[in-house]
Amino acid sequence: MTWVIWRQYRATAAIAGAILAAFAVLLLITGLQDAARWHAALASCAKDGTCGNLAQTVSLGSGLLTALTTLTLAVPLLFGMFWGSPAVARERETGTVQFAWTQSVTRWRWLSAKTGWLLLAGAVFGGAVAGIVTWWYAPLNALHQHQFTPVYFDIQGIVPIGYAVFAMALGIAAGTLIGRSLAALAVTGGVFLAIRLVVTYWVRVHYMPAVTTIYSVTQNLPSKGAYWPLVQGVVLPGGQLSTSLTVGPGYIMGPLPIPASCPAGQDQPISSTLACMARLGYRSFATYQPGYRFWPFQFIETGIFVALAAALIAVTFLVVRRRDA
Amino acid sequence: MIEFHLNNRSGVAPYLQLIRQVRQALRLGLLRAGDQLPTVKDVAGSLAINPNTVLKAYRSLEYEGLAAAKPGVGTFVTKTVSDESVVAHQRLSMELSAWVGRAQQAGLDFEDMEALFQRAARAAAQEEAV
Amino acid sequence: MSSTTAAIEAHGLGKRYGHRWALADCTLTIPTGHVAGLVGPNGAGKTTLISLATGMLAPTTGTVEVLGGAPADGPDQLARVGYVAQNTPTYAALSVADHLRLGAHMNPRWDGDSARDRLSRLNIPLDAAVGTLSGGQRAQVALALTLAKRPKVLLLDEPVAALDPLARRHFLGTLADAVAEGGLTVVLSSHLVADLERVCDHLILLASSRVQLCGDIDALLAEHRVLVGPRKDTTAIERDHTVVQTERTARQTTMLVRLNGPVADPDWEAADVGLEDMVLAYMGADAAPAIAELTAVGGQR
Repeated sequence: MTWVIWRQYRATAAIAGAILAAFAVLLLITGLQDAARWHAALASCAKDGTCGNLAQTVSLGSGLLTALTTLTLAVPLLFGMFWGSPAVARERETGTVQFAWTQSVTRWRWLSAKTGWLLLAGAVFGGAVAGIVTWWYAPLNALHQHQFTPVYFDIQGIVPIGYAVFAMALGIAAGTLIGRSLAALAVTGGVFLAIRLVVTYWVRVHYMPAVTTIYSVTQNLPSKGAYWPLVQGVVLPGGQLSTSLTVGPGYIMGPLPIPASCPAGQDQPISSTLACMARLGYRSFATYQPGYRFWPFQFIETGIFVALAAALIAVTFLVVRRRDA
Repeated sequence: MIEFHLNNRSGVAPYLQLIRQVRQALRLGLLRAGDQLPTVKDVAGSLAINPNTVLKAYRSLEYEGLAAAKPGVGTFVTKTVSDESVVAHQRLSMELSAWVGRAQQAGLDFEDMEALFQRAARAAAQEEAV
Repeated sequence: MSSTTAAIEAHGLGKRYGHRWALADCTLTIPTGHVAGLVGPNGAGKTTLISLATGMLAPTTGTVEVLGGAPADGPDQLARVGYVAQNTPTYAALSVADHLRLGAHMNPRWDGDSARDRLSRLNIPLDAAVGTLSGGQRAQVALALTLAKRPKVLLLDEPVAALDPLARRHFLGTLADAVAEGGLTVVLSSHLVADLERVCDHLILLASSRVQLCGDIDALLAEHRVLVGPRKDTTAIERDHTVVQTERTARQTTMLVRLNGPVADPDWEAADVGLEDMVLAYMGADAAPAIAELTAVGGQR
């Protein structure tokens, strides 16, 4: 059956491979340039001690490239829609199942080969893209420490593998349950987007209970590494929490006004305003997921999507066995 | 080797048509003792008919003593049409002319005569088959 | 497996879609070693019956067994049954040679050489994409593919329906040639009775989703007669035999009957009936039973 699957997919595999290669070359070249620039900036800031302000002074990547890497969010979706959903649906629509299911290969054997190779292809492609993007982001991650935030989290590490496997399984299942490839394609896209959005913005925060830290208004959040900020604000002198005011070294953001008794204005350094607020009893608080949880979260999320994929594949097998061709 | 053909509309069963064509070929000297008849596979394939039909025809020819099957090799003609049957043909021919004359006198035209002949021939063929 | 295992055995087989029964109460036995023609009007259940036998559909009621095994029940059973679906679906972009390789990879018992041989004798180019072949050539490719897996039973669903007469002749010739090699049972559905008459020796007639006839063609034809007689009371005939179709004119009654013994009444003249007429009578009788009454010229029942 391996040759059968290969013969059916070799053209599209070649195209996908070519696109992947082009993508890899582009990111390799620009990534090496960025890395060089980053190391140079690090070296020079070490000399004049301006490393704290690097975020303001160094520019890495370009808007276009960053947009391109963000677009890799769509890679699993494309796999699911264009490789997964036609896998069974198209063969049923064109009637080729009448040939495929009457050779000496049972439906389940046929389906195992198809889903096995498609899921593997999804995982490999998804992993390759994720690997390239993660490598390319290294300087940016070091600079901005944003890899735990949504979107950046989704395109790096191992979660793209989970998404790709899930999307492929979703496509195959949709194609099997829904007779028509076009409708299956649409359903695959819609369901994938919905689940990804829900998980990213509502479920992911709860993998582990978020940490809340209260700290001085004159300092930055004392958390090392790339943390995921969820809620930030101040603890008012009375003890209430407010998210309408966020402060830190070098910034005060409303809309809640600072206490009247603290000097503020264009000629007042922010540090003195903050010191005043501290004396009044203001403190900062942040609820966040600490940076050391990045990889555990990656594994949990990948696990969730792989489990969803497994359930979808199980459903597909059951439906294929019973379904009239 | 003899080439068979079938007439769908003749009302005559295919296996009978095959037998007749073999007999005709024998009569005309196109087939002689020792000649091989086409294999069942070839006849079935070229005429698109059931192989059993061909087998039926060949077995009938064997029964009549006109052919014999050599297992694994094929079916071969065993006898050439002899002069005896030519004599029989002449006698039958004369009887037939007399009958035609009588039929014409009774008022039958050629189509009526053909209809009578076909019915009698078919009835005889069916009795044979039983 | 005993030598008396039927090629196809169905008991009370039925398939329902929503409220409509595509096939109902189908009980039949097709013996091995024959070429059976499956006839019936469109929608009578021919495709449904074949699809049930190949395992493409699951029955709503009843059972069907092919060579004593459940359809599609494992690789051995699948290997024993060959199938060509209506419109011979193939992978349009793949070449003939690719299809042969597909077959070789999906069947343990594969005779690719005979298939290639057969196709080259028919002048079908092996490297042409199957989608570019004519209907007749595609049908020959499908037949070659299914014969190459050396099945014991071959199920063909209207394989020649869309073919021109020459292509039809070639297809049936290839089929007859394969049957002559021995060990093959064929069930072939069609609504062209004339084609079936040449190559089939067994008949299964479906009408209104039920089996009306199933048996050896010569035996069936021997049991049927066209009775022609004066216009008179037909109750005796209807009681003693099975009347398939009746036509009355002012002076004459014509009936196609399935005999249950001899016809005693000398008023009735019995004539043989041809296969096509017999089949049409069963198909027509089911479709419009009242029309026979109305063919009377100026007469009434």
